[in-house]
Amino acid sequence: MGALLEVRNVSHSFSGLHVLKGVSFAAEEGSICGLIGPNGAGKSTLFNVISGFLAPDRGEVLYAGADISRLTVPQRSFQGLVRTFQTPQVFPHLSVRDNLVAGSYKDSRTGMLANLLGTRGSRAELRRMREAADAACEKFGLSAVRERLAGKLPGGQQRLVELARAALGRPRLLCLDEPSSGLNTEEVEQLMDTLRVLNREGISILLVSHDMDLVAVASAIHVLCFGEIIASGPLARIQSDARVRDAYLGV
Amino acid sequence: MPSLGSRSVLSIGAVALVVAWAAAPALLSRSVVDMLVFTGLYTIAGLGVTFLLGQCGIVSLAQSVFYGVGAYATAYCTTHYGWPAAYGFAIGMGVSALLALAVGWPVLRLSGYFLALATLALAIIGHVLFTEWDWLTGGTLGIGGIPALNLFGIALDSPQRFYYLIWPLAALVLWLHYNLLHSRAGYAMRAMRDAPAAAQVLGVDTHVLKVKIFVLSAVLGALAGSLFAHYVTFVSVDSFGVDRAINFLLLVVLGGAKTIAGTVLGALFITVMPHALSRLGDVHAVLFAGCLIVAVIFLPEGFGGALRRALRRFAPER
Repeated sequence: MGALLEVRNVSHSFSGLHVLKGVSFAAEEGSICGLIGPNGAGKSTLFNVISGFLAPDRGEVLYAGADISRLTVPQRSFQGLVRTFQTPQVFPHLSVRDNLVAGSYKDSRTGMLANLLGTRGSRAELRRMREAADAACEKFGLSAVRERLAGKLPGGQQRLVELARAALGRPRLLCLDEPSSGLNTEEVEQLMDTLRVLNREGISILLVSHDMDLVAVASAIHVLCFGEIIASGPLARIQSDARVRDAYLGV
Repeated sequence: MPSLGSRSVLSIGAVALVVAWAAAPALLSRSVVDMLVFTGLYTIAGLGVTFLLGQCGIVSLAQSVFYGVGAYATAYCTTHYGWPAAYGFAIGMGVSALLALAVGWPVLRLSGYFLALATLALAIIGHVLFTEWDWLTGGTLGIGGIPALNLFGIALDSPQRFYYLIWPLAALVLWLHYNLLHSRAGYAMRAMRDAPAAAQVLGVDTHVLKVKIFVLSAVLGALAGSLFAHYVTFVSVDSFGVDRAINFLLLVVLGGAKTIAGTVLGALFITVMPHALSRLGDVHAVLFAGCLIVAVIFLPEGFGGALRRALRRFAPER
C-alpha cells in the first residue's frame, strides 16, 4: 500500500525558535507508524501541524495524496484524520456514554431546524448514536463506568474514553499523542492489544510515544530530534542506530 | 426507572401544576399576574442566554440589544406603517438574526473574559444607538400607542389575557430548547463547551456552531422584545439598557445555566423578588443584592440544579 500521510519538508517556528526544520516522513496506509523523540524534539508541534491546529511556516502535509495543509481541523476530521491529545481531552461534564455519543457526530446529518423541532429523523439519528456508543462501551470495556462523569474517571480510563471516542469518529488515520502516558504496565498491554485490533479493522495509526514497549507495535518508526528526523525504520534498526542512541535512548 | 408510585406522584404534580397555571389569572391580583407575564417574557429571552452559557460556555451580555431590536421593530412597523404585528415580529427577529450573524462572526472568535467584555460593549453600543437614533426609536421619549396583540378576535390588552399567550409561547420555546439539547447539535454544543479542541477533532466546526447559537439566541431575544412592546404598548430606551442585559445573564446564572427549568425559576426570581422587597423601603436594593449573593453561594448550580437534585432524590432515574 502507498503512503496515507506524507509530511513534506515541514518547518515551524515560535517567536524565532525553529521547532520543526524541514521534517519529512510518510506513514503507510494500513500500518502502525511510530514517532518518537526526546522532550522538546517537536513531536507535539508536528502533531498539531498534521491535525490542523497549527499551520506550517513551510512545507506541506499530504493525506491520501492531496495537500491538506489549508484544511481546518473539522475538515480533516471529516476526511478521516482523527487525533487524541497528550493530556486526555474528555468532555468532563458528560457521562462516558455521552462522550461516546458525541464521538458519532460525523455520522449524523440532521440540520439545526430539524434538531429544534425534534423531527423523527433527528430522534432516530440520536438513537443510532446512542446504540453506537453502547457498542463502543462494550468493545472498549467501559460498560461498568458508562454512566459516570468522564471527568471523574482516573487518567487511564479517560485515555480509554478518548480512544473509544476517536475510534467512533470513523478514522482512516488515527493519530495518538502519548497514549500510554499515566498507564500502568497492564494497561499498556491492553492498549497495545486494542491498537492491534483497531489496525486489523483497517485503521492506520500514527503513534507518538516515549514508551519503547508501546512503540514496539509499530511496523515503522521515525525518530524526531531537535526538529529533524534523524532515523527511520523498524524498531530493531532504530535501537541500533548510533545517532538515536546518542540523542534519545541515552545508552 | 422511577417506581410506579413516584411516577404517579409526579404525574399528579404535573396535572396540579397545569390546573394551577390555568386558574392563576382568575385567582391572583392583576399585579401578580403582571409579574407572571414578565416572568414568561424573561424566560423566553433568558433561554437564549441559557443556550449560550449553559450549553456553549459563552457569556453573553448582548441580549438586551436583540430584545430592543425586537421591541422597536414591531413598535415602528405597527405605529408608523400600520402593519400587522406579525410583520413587526418577523422583521424584528430577521434583523436580530442578521445583526447577530454580522456581529457574532468576528466577535465569537474571542473567548472567556474577552468575549464577555465584547458582548458588554455591544450592549452599551446598542443602548447608545437606541438613544441617538430617535428618528427610529423615539429616543428618550420612546414610542407609544403600540396596539395590543389580537388573537382570534380577542385583544390581549390585560395581564390576565396576555398571560394565556406568553406561557404557551414560553412552553413552546422550552420544548424547542429540550429538543435541541437532545440532538446532535446539543451534543456538539456540550462537547464544545467542555473541550473545544476535542470537539473540533470530532468534526464540530466550533465557530460556525457558536454563531448559529448566537443567532438563535438573538431571535429569542427579539421575540421576547416584540411581545414586551405589544404588552406594555410603549417602549423607550430605559427598557434596553445595560442593566437589562445584566438581568438576562443574572436570571440564567441564578436559575442554573445547565437546566431548562432553571431559566423559568431565575426569571421568576428577578421579577418577583425586587417587587416583594420593595415593600421594605429604600433598603430593598441592598436586600436584593444580598439575596443574589446568598443564592450564588448556597446554590452554585442555581435553582434548577437544586430542583434537579431534589427530584433525583425523590425519583432516581436509574
